[in-house]
Amino acid sequence: MSIEQYKGDMEMCCRCSACKHIPLQMVRNPAHSYACPSIAKYNYHAYSGSGRLIIGREALSKGINYTDRLLDIVYNCQMCGACDISCKYAMDMEVLEPISEFRMKCVEDGHANPALDKVINGLHKTGSMVPVKGKRGDWAEGLNLKNATKEKVDVLYHVGCLTSYDKDMQKLAKATAKILQKAGVNFGIAGDAETCCGGRAYQMGYREDFLNQAKKNMALIKKAGVKTLVTGCADGYQAFKVLYDKYNLKGDLEVLHITEYIDRLIKQGKLKLTKKVNLNVTYHDPCRLGRLSEPWIHWEGKKIPGYKFVFDPPKTYRRGTNGIYAPPRDILASIPGIKLTEMDRIKEYSWCCGAGGGVNESNPEFAAWTANKRIEEATSTGAEALVSACPWCESNFNKTLKATGSSLKVYDIVELVAKAI
Amino acid sequence: MVVEAKFAKIVGAGNASSQKETLEEYSRDMSFVNPVRPAFIVRPKTAAEIEKIVNLANETNTPLVPVSSGSPHFRGDTVPGTGGVVIVDLSGMKKIIKITRHNRVAMVEPGVTFAELIPAVTREGLRLNMPLLPRQSKSVVGSMLEREPVIMPKYQWDSSDPLACIEVVFGNGETFRTGQAAGPGTIEEQWAAGGVQKTPYGPGPAQWQRLVQGAQGTMGIVTWASLRCELLPELEQPFVVGSANLGKLTDLAHWLVRMKLVNECFMVNNTDLAAIMAEKWPTDYCDLKDSLPRWILFYNVAGYHYSPEERVSTQIKGITDICKQVGVEPVKAAGKVSANEILKTVQKPSGEPYWKLRYKGACQDIFFITIYDKLERQLSIMNELANQYGFQSSDIGIYLQPMVQGTNCHCEFNLFYDPTNPREVARVKTLYTKATEALMKVGAFFSRPYDTTARMIVNQNAASVDALNRVKGVLDPNHIMNPGKLCF
Amino acid sequence: MAISKEAYKEIEDVVGPENISDDPSIKDAYRSQYLTVVLPGNTEEVAAVVKLFNKHKIPFQVQSTGWSFYPPEYDFIFVDMRRMNRIIEINEKNMYAVVEPYVIVAELQAELFKRGLTCNMKGSGANTTALAMSGHGHMGLSTGTGDRNDLATEWVTDEGEIIRLGTVGASGEWFCGDGPGPSLRGVIRIGGVMTKQSTKIYHWGGPTKYALEGNSPRYTLPEIPANMMVRYYSFPTVEKLIEAELKIGESEIAFELMGFCPSMVSSNITTNNEEDFATLERFTKEVQGPGFMVIIIGNFPGDFEYKKMVLEQIIKETKGKSLKAVEDHNAEATLLFQCTRVTGSIRETFRAGGMFSSMMVQGQRYDLHVEWLEQAAVWKRELIKKGLIIADDGQQFGWGEEQGHLGHTEIFCRYNPYDADSFKAVHDWMDKVAKLALTGHYSVPVNSALPIEEIGSQACNYHIWLGKIKQAFDPNLVGARTGFSYVGADTAGAHTLVYPPKPPAKQP
Ligand SMILES: Cc1cc2nc3c(=O)[nH]c(=O)nc-3n(C[C@H](O)[C@H](O)[C@H](O)COP(=O)(O)OP(=O)(O)OC[C@H]3O[C@@H](n4cnc5c(N)ncnc54)[C@H](O)[C@@H]3O)c2cc1C
Ligand code: SF4
Ligand code: SF4
Repeated sequence: MSIEQYKGDMEMCCRCSACKHIPLQMVRNPAHSYACPSIAKYNYHAYSGSGRLIIGREALSKGINYTDRLLDIVYNCQMCGACDISCKYAMDMEVLEPISEFRMKCVEDGHANPALDKVINGLHKTGSMVPVKGKRGDWAEGLNLKNATKEKVDVLYHVGCLTSYDKDMQKLAKATAKILQKAGVNFGIAGDAETCCGGRAYQMGYREDFLNQAKKNMALIKKAGVKTLVTGCADGYQAFKVLYDKYNLKGDLEVLHITEYIDRLIKQGKLKLTKKVNLNVTYHDPCRLGRLSEPWIHWEGKKIPGYKFVFDPPKTYRRGTNGIYAPPRDILASIPGIKLTEMDRIKEYSWCCGAGGGVNESNPEFAAWTANKRIEEATSTGAEALVSACPWCESNFNKTLKATGSSLKVYDIVELVAKAI
Repeated sequence: MVVEAKFAKIVGAGNASSQKETLEEYSRDMSFVNPVRPAFIVRPKTAAEIEKIVNLANETNTPLVPVSSGSPHFRGDTVPGTGGVVIVDLSGMKKIIKITRHNRVAMVEPGVTFAELIPAVTREGLRLNMPLLPRQSKSVVGSMLEREPVIMPKYQWDSSDPLACIEVVFGNGETFRTGQAAGPGTIEEQWAAGGVQKTPYGPGPAQWQRLVQGAQGTMGIVTWASLRCELLPELEQPFVVGSANLGKLTDLAHWLVRMKLVNECFMVNNTDLAAIMAEKWPTDYCDLKDSLPRWILFYNVAGYHYSPEERVSTQIKGITDICKQVGVEPVKAAGKVSANEILKTVQKPSGEPYWKLRYKGACQDIFFITIYDKLERQLSIMNELANQYGFQSSDIGIYLQPMVQGTNCHCEFNLFYDPTNPREVARVKTLYTKATEALMKVGAFFSRPYDTTARMIVNQNAASVDALNRVKGVLDPNHIMNPGKLCF
Repeated sequence: MAISKEAYKEIEDVVGPENISDDPSIKDAYRSQYLTVVLPGNTEEVAAVVKLFNKHKIPFQVQSTGWSFYPPEYDFIFVDMRRMNRIIEINEKNMYAVVEPYVIVAELQAELFKRGLTCNMKGSGANTTALAMSGHGHMGLSTGTGDRNDLATEWVTDEGEIIRLGTVGASGEWFCGDGPGPSLRGVIRIGGVMTKQSTKIYHWGGPTKYALEGNSPRYTLPEIPANMMVRYYSFPTVEKLIEAELKIGESEIAFELMGFCPSMVSSNITTNNEEDFATLERFTKEVQGPGFMVIIIGNFPGDFEYKKMVLEQIIKETKGKSLKAVEDHNAEATLLFQCTRVTGSIRETFRAGGMFSSMMVQGQRYDLHVEWLEQAAVWKRELIKKGLIIADDGQQFGWGEEQGHLGHTEIFCRYNPYDADSFKAVHDWMDKVAKLALTGHYSVPVNSALPIEEIGSQACNYHIWLGKIKQAFDPNLVGARTGFSYVGADTAGAHTLVYPPKPPAKQP
């Protein structure tokens, strides 16, 4: 993979600016018409998907001219992929891929962002993307969970860095465990042996570190002999399901997000949600559970010479059509007492929580600004709570909420399910 | 050769005049503008003559005042604003150059009146979007250049409608054609290629006709204009809705125009409708007025070629539903005036004498553009001031014309007065100025300011005056055209 | 730095350091190495910076949504209006809306739909500025064109003077843009910066929002909303098509009549190139000749029934044939929501090859240009045969505006701009078609195709007049050479020669 590979795509950009907005057909409210946090905040065209492609195109012909501004552009992007989806409403071209490749090129060229570098150094040392206190498996103490590296299980629950280590997030792991136990699933965790999926390293531009993590994880999984992996983190989900596959590392591992799995358990009658949870909620689609979770499509081909942008064999694009949108909503619908009101930007054109692409580390102020926009949008629905399905979203929303003093509550969907069983 | 003789030479002696009585005629009109006697009158017959006149005027520094309509004039715009003026009277240029049904367009010279053009377009199955009851002598081109409101707001897409293209000799003596007429090639070559002169904007990013409209002859002289025409309906069903509550009528008017349900559509008060419809004076007038509700909305539902009955009945049904919601009832007659008679009357120019003169012999109009939300306050201010200056407020005729597909509304007060009664004249004159001032303060927009109030109105917006003068500097650099008008 | 440090600093003092940049990567993204970008936040800032451009004699160019921005090749300041993006007012009873330049039509229309209203839109579509800039679009039949939708406007001249036209200058209200006296609307498109504008709005008989289902790129409607219908008709001859088009206009039954050729329908309803080309092949077999798409919207059920009945009659009289594929629910739904919100323009134009070049006539009816554009189509097919441009059906298209009083005609080639042969072939084609427009006395062609003297001398020397007016408002000649043209997409071409060709300043 390299930026060169996307020359044709970058040349296709017609500067129509659809990538700044949600698919135009879905614009129903001027306050919520933008898809790209970066252009919405920084205004110069360079910060949009299109601007990034044009910069990439120029770089191919004349090399990258590294300036502080360029790096500001590169790292103030959540890699949320909203631009990609909006563009592909009309166009046949890749947007997020070249943006991502450009960032990787910057990292390879030694122009990494210092804050992100620090995180990656941490990863090298601890196998975690978040500061480590204690051991990875500490949260499970006393829960009597199986250790998948030692015992045979059907399902490996990959907890993820944030949920494992962050005191405020461990409740998600506990809730998940409770749900799986209640449904009688033969599952286990890797405990202290679990290591970072590498997904966030990838978003931050560190391909090699991602690949290292991926290889470690797949080795562990192979050794444990599990066929199904469940993750509660959208970033982890996308890493295992899409990125591992992209790099031909996934094999035939079945990767499920916890929402998919719970939805399946409910539909199979294995999990019954009986307790009332009286709450008006709205649902935030995490980028990597939603639009970016579509299976990778392996394709290799050549542009047919001439005027058309078509390929041999034909290329099928990932357009966000098949993200995980229904399962979380179906779960919410199954919880007695929950009333769901949708926001203006949902599913494939959801607005990022702000934490993607390492922005929460590299530019916390921008991450909070982005979260704030979402909180405003959620509040405008009249909901009491914003429900998500990813610890990074929840954590970023909570941090921002604390600063604003809003009374909006934030839940991960597993917390509500746990209440309902 | 003295200058006058040079002008006379261009148009031929028979078309020039410096007779005292003639000059006197052009020196004044029915407005309160001070009379100024022109030096000379020319009556050109062709565009070429006009071009020569303007060039000569530039050479000799002679101010020109173009006039298209016949008298009586009301607005002071054709009364010389300075001495030594040559009046360019275009009322004899009466060619109806072309009418094309297929393209719904007519092209006429400036002297063509409504009375003359209506039968010609009717023969082709077309009709004009007319101002309300123009006087017999009113030039069609003149009316359009003044941006007079028209009575079918649904067909007025832009305030410049129904004007399409013009040929104009700008003040610097060069001839220009606007919009589609500009080119390529001559008008004849365009016709030969199947072209018409209808698109009003361009060429290029400017919209040249807008600079000549509303200019009161200060930019150049128009030698012909084309105008969009509408189809003659096959079936028409006019209605009136009376009410003491104007708000309800403007509500209804909003929906009728918004949904493009009706052709003619306007509101008048009882005074104006009686003044328009009365035949025997003063008995008819008083009777009619007494019989009428305070406000009358008139509208006309039309059907065209395809199933006209069905179209009309469908629209009427839709309108009935709207009326129910608004809380009014459309009927076929208001008091002693039937909707059919109104329709017949307003589809023609005014009979003689001109309707505004019938009541008292003279009429001073105060008109401006406004929006419905502001009307109530503006009307009440007008009433207060009328009372204050001793003008019977119930004697004020009021005409409200939704414009530009409902984006704004022309509001016109007709102050009928007796020109032979000096006290009445003085009262109206004061009221006219005071009311204009007061109304401006409450959002009345005098987009077409005339006569004694023009300068005060225009000067309110210094930046706009500056911009207009820049345009003027290009089109009429020597200030030949109608000096003393507006901000020039 | 392309402009002096001193000038840069003075501009920075007005807009703040975060709103001016001449960083190379910012330049790259705006596709010009010659620019310095300024992002003003309000009218006063615009006026202040433009005054500085005059003081320092720095040429500038302004952009709203940038759909037709061609950067000049000299050092200049680029005023990106992005930050001015507020809807100032929607006045329902008086049928106007007031917007800043970076309000996109999708935003304004979304608000209007809620009130049973809609607005005019350029064919480029939903993310183009909602300013009533010159420009024409799908709904021209019932909502007119950009040139005729503006009411009051706030305009900063090339010298930096703020001029408030019409009512906004008199009382701060937005309902009329003309006067007092002559209407400066006649000159606001020649240059300067429009900072706020009131635009006409129109009744909307459709739903307050489309109840769309599914996911991008294939949204659909569970059912066609009440009193709405879309059809595509093809005709045995172009004469019959024109007859039908005029009758539809005159009978005032259609909300939209878009002269799509089959390729534009197939681009609209398909979600990728392969599907598009396959669909076009099917359509081409089914249509009997040239065609158009019609959208009928009834204000109430009886109105809809009447309009439908008249449409059927007109189609019968003109021997039109409905394209069955469009009667399919999904196709009809897609065309309906996409062509009333104008969200498919990129599919129609850019998707296939990355670029399109258009020869168009705005404001004039299709019937006047048939001969000319049929010739253009013949020449276009030669390029198709040679494999230089996208093989669509090669047809010109047009639509009526203001119920057929006016119209729009266009023909375009889609191609890959990075393919040198294609690029040259298309530009030669444009040239040839433009020349024919002039010699045949058909129309003033898109001006970027030919030198402006060649066009202007055939059109009352308008370029000379325009030059004089421009100079009157831009004595320092710092404004854009173009202004926004009445032919929306041709802003690459200057309409006057008063601006000296400026060589790029030497980079220090
Ligand atoms: C795919 C595609 C399809 C198109 N289809 C159509 C179509 O069907 N019909 C049509 O009419 N046009 C069409 N266009 C052209 C384009 O949509 C119009 O030109 C539109 O008006 C551009 O608006 P903008 O704000 O994006 O323009 P910009 O590129 O921002 O500006 C266009 C011109 O106006 C000037 N300008 C911009 N903003 C201001 C301002 N605030 N004040 C003063 N000057 C300003 C600029 O300097 C420039 O010269 C199409 C373009 C594309 C790319
Ligand atoms: S990236 Fe896609 S959506 Fe954005 S401007 Fe380019 S072509 Fe348009
Ligand atoms: S990935 Fe997200 S933040 Fe980055 S450019 Fe695209 S939409 Fe903007």
